[in-house]
Amino acid sequence: MSSKRITKELSDMGRDPPTSCSAGPVGDDLYHWQASIMGPPDSPYAGGVFFLSIHFPTDYPFKPPKISFTTKIYHPNINANGNICLDILKDQWSPALTLSKVLLSICSLLTDANPDDPLVPEIAHIYKTDRPKYEATAREWTKKYAV
Amino acid sequence: MEINGNTLVFLILILFLFFSSPGGDGVASQYEFTQLEKLRNQFTTEYESFQNMTYTDNFRNITGFKLSYQDIITNREINATYPIENKDYTHWANNQTYLLLPDRLIDTINTKVWSTPGGSPNNIFPPNITTSMTGHIELVANDEYTPIRMPVPNYFEPPTDFAENNPPGGEQYYDEWPNYGELHNVTFQNGELNIQVTHLDQVHTELNQNAKYKKRFNSQDGRWKLLNLKIEFFDKLEKEKHVSSSIAVYDIRRGRILGMSQSSKFHSLFALPHYMNLRNEENNEIFSEVKLLIKEYWNTSNYVDTLTMSDLDQLYDNALTKCEYMAFLQLEPWSQYTKDQIKQIDDELDWPIGRPVNISHIPPVSIKSGLLYSPDCGVQLQFNDVKGPRTELKVRTIRIHIIIGILLFAAQIYLLLCQMQHTNTPSSINKISFYSFSMINLVDGSLATLYFVAASVLPELYLPLVLSSFLSFILASIFETRYMISIYASQVNEAHVGILTLLRGHLRNEDDHVPRTTIVPDEASISGRLYGRFFFSLIIFIFVVSSSTSWPRKIRMIFEYIAIFALNSYWVPQIFRNTIKGIASRRDRRRNNSPTNRRQNEMPLLWRFILGTTVIRTLPIIYVFTYSANIFRHHRDVTFVVVLSLWLIFQIAILYSQDILGSRWFLPQHSIPEGYTYFKPISLQHSIEHGGGSKDEPYTVDCAICMSPVPVYIEEVEGTHKVDIHSYMVTPCNHIFHTECLENWMGYKLQCPVCRSSLPPL
Repeated sequence: MSSKRITKELSDMGRDPPTSCSAGPVGDDLYHWQASIMGPPDSPYAGGVFFLSIHFPTDYPFKPPKISFTTKIYHPNINANGNICLDILKDQWSPALTLSKVLLSICSLLTDANPDDPLVPEIAHIYKTDRPKYEATAREWTKKYAV
Repeated sequence: MEINGNTLVFLILILFLFFSSPGGDGVASQYEFTQLEKLRNQFTTEYESFQNMTYTDNFRNITGFKLSYQDIITNREINATYPIENKDYTHWANNQTYLLLPDRLIDTINTKVWSTPGGSPNNIFPPNITTSMTGHIELVANDEYTPIRMPVPNYFEPPTDFAENNPPGGEQYYDEWPNYGELHNVTFQNGELNIQVTHLDQVHTELNQNAKYKKRFNSQDGRWKLLNLKIEFFDKLEKEKHVSSSIAVYDIRRGRILGMSQSSKFHSLFALPHYMNLRNEENNEIFSEVKLLIKEYWNTSNYVDTLTMSDLDQLYDNALTKCEYMAFLQLEPWSQYTKDQIKQIDDELDWPIGRPVNISHIPPVSIKSGLLYSPDCGVQLQFNDVKGPRTELKVRTIRIHIIIGILLFAAQIYLLLCQMQHTNTPSSINKISFYSFSMINLVDGSLATLYFVAASVLPELYLPLVLSSFLSFILASIFETRYMISIYASQVNEAHVGILTLLRGHLRNEDDHVPRTTIVPDEASISGRLYGRFFFSLIIFIFVVSSSTSWPRKIRMIFEYIAIFALNSYWVPQIFRNTIKGIASRRDRRRNNSPTNRRQNEMPLLWRFILGTTVIRTLPIIYVFTYSANIFRHHRDVTFVVVLSLWLIFQIAILYSQDILGSRWFLPQHSIPEGYTYFKPISLQHSIEHGGGSKDEPYTVDCAICMSPVPVYIEEVEGTHKVDIHSYMVTPCNHIFHTECLENWMGYKLQCPVCRSSLPPL
């Protein structure tokens, strides 16, 4: 069941690729994918390319895929290990969601961070109190790690 | 922490209260100090006169013994002041001229009560008689004897205002009170009797009540023992209850016990030697030995110096609210044992290491005959054959009972875990009744509390009680409450279905299609609420139960029966729930037994769980109500147990019939509200709306879960009619999925994958 659906998603991704994202399996393992996201132009991450590693559970799509950033990124909802704090990847998962929809959600998370439910409270604090400083640091990190 | 002015004042106040609190003797004012001083003086004077007393001397200034029975017969209004004119203080004999007892009573005691001669090798009495005995008591006379007037010194009275420093002098006769008789009479003919005996072998030598300072005092340990005696008697309906606590002397050689209550109008401690020698058998020997015993007790315990304000209040309270009682008891000899065997039994009970004693066959401590007489109320009572096991043996039996209880708890936990394993999807857990488990949970929670309280009251059973308390607490507040949280979470979005709905045959709001707001269950908030509710109802229940123990017996019994009956109706909500959810009969379930929905269609409760839980919960009730020698001394009522068992069997029978015949067999066909059915044909327009009708496969829609097409049965299109309508499911929000896909997802969450609205469980 899960492999059929993952194959289906892969072919859909090839037929109709989402803008600014791409994804595909690493080697022969259908359950381990790699994805990349272009930093959204209206965000401090513009110009960077961020890589993500994706693991599908065997009971996919009933359980959400495990997604984490492999590129370092300065963001209130993404920590140093690349873990992402996003509700649809946890208790709000629905089997009608697909990987491309999830990647788009991550893209919009990059544009609009959610500092009220932060994974890294320090960054969230700076985001809320000193926006220019946050943007400068994010830009600097993007230049340093993602270009 | 910042310390501002207010905090400082508060701290100083606390420190002041801490350092100014009364010392070890509880004295808090000048008034109380004088009161205690006066009591000490009174005791000291009386003790001095006691020391000089010989057997042939009359009592002089001992409080309560200034008058004899003859004095009050001669002059009913006589005042008990020492010295009384023309009274002979230099002679003594065993008759009513010198004693508080009428001659007739002295005769009765000598011929009927203390009749067993001591000293013969056939009559050996156990030296250790720690026990609590039960039996029946009978009133002999409550208006035959003239009550002896006993005054209470006025200095015992509490101060009337704060400025008072000196207690009033003089004394007062309380038999002149208008309501004196109500508390000081026994009005029932036959009643129940409890006698609790504990040994007074060691005493505190200082005011500091630390166990370190306990000391033995008795130099005649093999012949005499000092006891604490608590005698309770009440009528069968418990309308009238009398309690008398006293210090008693136990004559081991003759098996006689003499107890006399103590109060501020009756200083009986000094009279024990005279009254112990009532038969005048060996003249001075008994008198001098008991006198020595009292002397040793007095001196070792520093009786006068260790008096506290609470002793004073206790003495005063006893004097006002209770009759003084003299208890004459004769023990049954343990003739089958020798002295050495009895010693071995005592040692083994005290410290079990497997001596060659058959502990389970030790006879009970039993009082052959006894007599209670109250000199100041003129009441005489008698009893025969009052018996009870040695306290150590009783503790042993209770321990075994508690261990059996622990095993029952463990079995219940195991069954509950099986049941939780059985219903591990939201759909299956949805069919379980929340209220069934609430009732079970309430009982377990109260048991945990009960055990916990018992553990703090009974130190000798601390370990098994705490273990029981722990197990039942785990069962109630972890396993059962967690399970209830899941049940609650799976039912939170349901429309209310009551009995009326069931009979009317349709849901009330069927016509208006206003979508109800869907609450996404958040386990954390549910658990907070449920735990709150659990502890609240537990506190209320325990409060009611504990206050019910003081209700009149009749009301208490009715309450007990109703409560037990109600709490044992725990399968009724489940029967009701089954009816609402409409489980198909076993034959129908067998017929469409596809591997995916096998679990969904099973009975929600395991039969193992139903039967096991019922047995575990009924066994203790059967034991308490049918076995008359049960440890709770609960009365026997077989009829109630039979009715209760029939009621439980009836509940189980209904559950079983629901399993076999379908859960709604007892309702008429038309009154059944149909649950939502996921399997139905759809209209052409509906299929087009959902993206059906692509070129190669015109009559299919896409399943959002596996992303492959679902062939559907469309009413208007003849060609689709060979599609099995059980192969796909239509949700109330009109989304279409493969049966397998949606059933799988419903094992995780009852929520539509596409629009997140709630799904009715299967």
